[in-house]
Amino acid sequence: MTEKAGHLSGGFRPVRLVNMSVTTVIFETLWNEYIFWSLVVGAIAFGWLYHHSFWYLSKSGEVGSTENIDDLQVGVFPRHNDNIKLEVAWTLLPFILIIYLTYISWAPLDAMWTSPIDGNHGGECEEGESSNNRILEGSRGIIRSDCYHIIEITAQQWFWSFDCLDLSTEICDTDIESMEVYGSVPELFLKRGETYLANMTSLDVTHAPWFQHLGTKEDTVPGQNTQLWLPITLDMTEESMILCAEYCGDAHSVMAGKLSVHD
Amino acid sequence: MNTKLSRGLIATLLIISAMLVIPSTTSQPAGIEGIGSGGCNCHGPSPDSRVSVVLDGVPESYNYSETYNLTVSFSGGPTSPENMNQGGFHLYTSHGELGVVDGTAQVWNSNELSHTEAGNDQTSWDVTWKAPQTDSNVEFVLHVNSVNGNADGVAGGTSGDYWNRLSIQISGPIEVLEQADPFVVLTVLILVSAILLALTLTYVFYSRDPESFDWEKFGPWISDWLTTTDHKKIGTLYFVAGLFFLGVGGIMALLIRIQLSVPGNDFLTQEQYNQFFTLHGTTMIFLAAMPMINGFANWMVPLQIGAPDLALPRINAMSFWLQPFAAILIFTGVFSGAGADTGWTGYAPYVVSEGAHAGTTMWAAGQILLVASSTLTGVNFLTTIAVMRAEGMGWMQMPLFTWSIMIANVMLFLSIPAFGIGLIQVFLDRVIGTAFYDIAAGGDPLLWSHLFWYFGHPEVYVVIVPSFGIISEVIATSARRSIFGYRSMVYALAGIGVVAFIVYGHHMFTSGMSPSLRFITMLTTMLVAVPTGIKIFNWLMTMNGGSLVYRTHTLWALGFLVTFTLGGFSGMFFPSIAMDTHLHESYFVVAHFHYVLVGGTVFGFFAGIYYWWPKATGKMLSERLGALHFLTAFISYNALFWPMHRLGVWGMTRRHHTYFVTTEEALGSLPMEAAGWNMFISVSAFIFFFSNFIMVGNMIISSIRGVDAPADPWGSWSFEWMTTSPPPTPSFGHFDGEKWHDLPKLKDANDHIANEPGVIARWFERLMVPNDELGGHSE
Amino acid sequence: MSSDYGHDDHHPSAWGPHDWHHGAPHNSWAPIIMSAGFAIFLFTLGGAYEWGEFVSSTYALMIFVSLGVIGLGILIWWRQDFSFDGSYEPKSFGAPYQNIDIRKVAVWVFLMSEMMVFTSLFSTYIRYRTGIENCKTVFESGNWVEGTAVTCFEPASHLIASSWFHLAPGAINTFALIISSFTIVQALRYAKKKDLDENTRRRKVTMFLGTTWLLAIIFLALKMIEWFIGFPTPGPLTELNHGHTEIASLYTEGYLINADSYQHHYYNTHYFEDHDMELPAGLVGHSGGQMMADIQVSASTFYVTTGTHGAHVLGGIVVLTYMTFKAMNGGYTPKNAVGIEYFGLYWHFVDLVWVLVFPFFYLY
Repeated sequence: MTEKAGHLSGGFRPVRLVNMSVTTVIFETLWNEYIFWSLVVGAIAFGWLYHHSFWYLSKSGEVGSTENIDDLQVGVFPRHNDNIKLEVAWTLLPFILIIYLTYISWAPLDAMWTSPIDGNHGGECEEGESSNNRILEGSRGIIRSDCYHIIEITAQQWFWSFDCLDLSTEICDTDIESMEVYGSVPELFLKRGETYLANMTSLDVTHAPWFQHLGTKEDTVPGQNTQLWLPITLDMTEESMILCAEYCGDAHSVMAGKLSVHD
Repeated sequence: MNTKLSRGLIATLLIISAMLVIPSTTSQPAGIEGIGSGGCNCHGPSPDSRVSVVLDGVPESYNYSETYNLTVSFSGGPTSPENMNQGGFHLYTSHGELGVVDGTAQVWNSNELSHTEAGNDQTSWDVTWKAPQTDSNVEFVLHVNSVNGNADGVAGGTSGDYWNRLSIQISGPIEVLEQADPFVVLTVLILVSAILLALTLTYVFYSRDPESFDWEKFGPWISDWLTTTDHKKIGTLYFVAGLFFLGVGGIMALLIRIQLSVPGNDFLTQEQYNQFFTLHGTTMIFLAAMPMINGFANWMVPLQIGAPDLALPRINAMSFWLQPFAAILIFTGVFSGAGADTGWTGYAPYVVSEGAHAGTTMWAAGQILLVASSTLTGVNFLTTIAVMRAEGMGWMQMPLFTWSIMIANVMLFLSIPAFGIGLIQVFLDRVIGTAFYDIAAGGDPLLWSHLFWYFGHPEVYVVIVPSFGIISEVIATSARRSIFGYRSMVYALAGIGVVAFIVYGHHMFTSGMSPSLRFITMLTTMLVAVPTGIKIFNWLMTMNGGSLVYRTHTLWALGFLVTFTLGGFSGMFFPSIAMDTHLHESYFVVAHFHYVLVGGTVFGFFAGIYYWWPKATGKMLSERLGALHFLTAFISYNALFWPMHRLGVWGMTRRHHTYFVTTEEALGSLPMEAAGWNMFISVSAFIFFFSNFIMVGNMIISSIRGVDAPADPWGSWSFEWMTTSPPPTPSFGHFDGEKWHDLPKLKDANDHIANEPGVIARWFERLMVPNDELGGHSE
Repeated sequence: MSSDYGHDDHHPSAWGPHDWHHGAPHNSWAPIIMSAGFAIFLFTLGGAYEWGEFVSSTYALMIFVSLGVIGLGILIWWRQDFSFDGSYEPKSFGAPYQNIDIRKVAVWVFLMSEMMVFTSLFSTYIRYRTGIENCKTVFESGNWVEGTAVTCFEPASHLIASSWFHLAPGAINTFALIISSFTIVQALRYAKKKDLDENTRRRKVTMFLGTTWLLAIIFLALKMIEWFIGFPTPGPLTELNHGHTEIASLYTEGYLINADSYQHHYYNTHYFEDHDMELPAGLVGHSGGQMMADIQVSASTFYVTTGTHGAHVLGGIVVLTYMTFKAMNGGYTPKNAVGIEYFGLYWHFVDLVWVLVFPFFYLY
């Protein structure tokens, strides 16, 4: 994976599945890995199933006693049919696979929930300082930044309020955008190469902003604060949607926002 | 007419009238008193003509479902040289839906909106109005108050706060045909299904004995069904209820699919859509899957372990009868047009907010009854399986289906009280005003999530595990082999039962729960794949060296292996949190749980129905129709749910009333192909829905002119194949007033024979049978 | 043809009484009627109140109808069981638990579920007790201003354990329940005694069941007094109660589920001045006055948890009523005395839960 990751930081993207809308490298590498193992296990299981379904077909097709392999009789607990080696094998092999899959899913967690104090994204940016974020070499998409900017997201039925606090309009800006399908939605302008930490809360019920092209979401919980990292990498698509993912009432489906990023 | 019959009739009439009363008393969404009829609880006592109110953009006559942009504005009011007049408004419409365009207005409910805190102190606001889908005279009532800063320095004071009122009436286009309200459609369909069901059942009664089909016999017949405590009859009742609600849930699914078949559709309004997916989930899990599991368990567990009946037959009847009444409560809101709209998860605080429809109260109440029902069922089955097994049947000689029911009930039994308490808290919050989930008072929404998912995750295993049991029986019998790795099957089941309690946090990966808890549940959730994998490989290995006889139930069992394995793969994507943050609440989730709940649970049920139907009814089903059912349903099922995976990754969100596609990648979030796939899914949904009627037809044909079934048509080993088809009552043995006689005994083909009781069993026995003066008995 | 349907030995009446010499199953109207009753009860309760407001007296009247329906179901159940003399006491028939009482196992299994019920309630309690700042802490820290409600957790024990008089009902209740656990065992003992003549047994069993019943009634009565009614301080003890002649109920103290502006004399800086007490350090320099608190969550937790326990006691009273009545008619013999034991198991559990509820909600 080392060479591949080396390319990543140079702006090269790994093979993308058709029309995948998520742009995070973490998602795509994990996805490809999981799909690969699903195919492997699927090939074994379905090949096996296909073979046995036809190979062991009953000769007469009837419930005859001659074909009653284990001599099943009503009222008699049947003979044990087991093989401890096989059973241990398919306890251990999946277990090893699980450990591997857990291992590769584990690494991104540090990045996703990194501490705002001297974590992957450093500390809060001074005025004029840039996050300068980049994908760590050999890391399957873990992002490091020099520092981050804090923004606020407040949800209520049924719209988002983005607040850039005192960030410059170059780094973060908000507007109301009129979209053909969702009507007017709040728009958030962020800058590529910058990393943002969204402090989020809700005024009424639970919502969740799904930053679709960042492949991330987190509930906004009334009465509590939640945090979400928004690392805008250099290859982030220019425009993407922010939809509400936690059911919040009547107009849940049109509770939308737009994320626009610029260089 | 004798007294027995008349008493039965009176009771029936009472129940029917109670059932009639329930839906007709509605729980209407609460409005602001007097707004519609002319009053205003604004700030001052009476309207003031110095304020002139304008509502722009209202058409003279509207087009169906078209959205109009309205502008609310006013001028005039208390004069003060240094301050501009500003104020707020409240707009009511008798029909259609009001909506907001920006943060200056907020929707109270679909026909009322008002300014927000941000939109306080303005003179004009933009709102939208979506015309209704039916032709009606629409009235708009607008109240605006005009204030002049804080002229008198008192908040809510009257001297600087004038208000006025405006009312406009418009009419709809009368030339367009009336479109039926989807609720009417649903209600009619439910009623028609209920009537058909009643007619079919009556016909069954009639066909049993056409000679003497009269009222005199019908009374005792029906009252016998209403009062029965026989496990087989209650099992049948469960099936009738379960299949009925499977159909009702299916109708709701079809309405949802019509809505989603094309982008931007408005076949259902947002409100209706929200209620439909809520009730679809609740119905399918609690009113279809659970009763069918109980149907299988009631029928087969006593038969499989050689017991005459369940431990507590009357409690068993109670378990059943709580369910139809719970169903009535859950559906109460729908009949009044304000059904629960919370999703089956009913997340707090939405579920206790006034925004949630009034029907939510009864939705919670109905589920409280279901919790009671499941608890009683749990007591019954755990007791029955623990102590009523036939001689020779130790724990490790139990048929796997009985094991699966045992594990399912352990999980259900230990988890459902948490849900019950959560529901009681929600119910009390909504009814008597407690504050468990009142955010302002310090309530914690995550508490509900924990209580719910502590139950909710074991619950989804509760509905899948009995299918594991059925598949184990069917595959072994069809392959003419004993099941491969009986012991590892049991341990895997037990492993699932244990792990079920510690994985629920994966439903809350994005909930704001502590990251360390999320991480722990990520590890435990990954583990679930191990016991499930063992089971799948054991099933496959069972076929090895066998002699596979293809019957309909065999087809369904093999189909189950395919779909359930696929569902298992997609399940592996969720515990990987970095992927889950994207996939959570997307159609990928919808695809996953339909793969395991339909492809797993329901396919297992179908296998079980075809497998045990001859035993239960004494009639064979048509294999030809069965194969046709399998082919159509299996293909259309996969066509229905497989594309949803892709839609989810694209970004189609679960529980969204509609979606939009565009060629521009960002705007609308879904690519153009999504529309085509959705239409494909909807068409497949219809095929899948109707293909299942082949089975219903098969059942009816079998009941009328099916071939008589032998005691053991498939050649299996467990006790249920020992009795006649259908089995007598009591199922085994007879009671002479003192003891049971002629109960079956299990022989064991293995030489080690039962080493029971083991250590735990001996300890348990000592606990239960103290031979002292107080607790024991003198035998 | 079916005129003697109900009298056929093999089809005992679904209305009761049952002929228990034929074993199960017996048809019964009780399950469907009770289920309907419970559904109507929840429906009418939800119709009578909304968000704590009384909205419909029609529904409120219907609540009584629903209780009547539930009662009818229970009566049918009892009528069927009244003739139960132990001739059909289902026993396990297979190995390994041959001959143990099936229904005793069922009661134990049922109690597992009850454990989870109270575990869930205690989870809620622990979540809120630890998650919301304690009112006393808030008051003493001075992070409040007069006239604005602060959200904080006010444990009921702060009121109750503040004086022996407040604690009295709860303390008496604890002993009432413990004694009732003893009397139920006595009832079982006498019912099981083989060497007693019928009359003595009937008298003894009735007496002990009746005592248990009475103690349960006392429990609920004291609970009502503690919650809603209050009681006068016994004359000679007035002095001990700081001169108050009345012990206020929790209701009059304002400890209510909708208390969003709860005020307590303790949370008043003047209280400290009037009683010449030293002001807590955090309040020195504070503008002072009366602290208002939003304690809805604390009160909800308290009332619902102790109320659930109370509902279990009420359930016990319902069963005890039947059992006492049956005992009066000489219905308990050594053959079916185990029925008292089934109830006793439940009753001990209710007692045990109280032993947990009492310290958590009344003392600390």
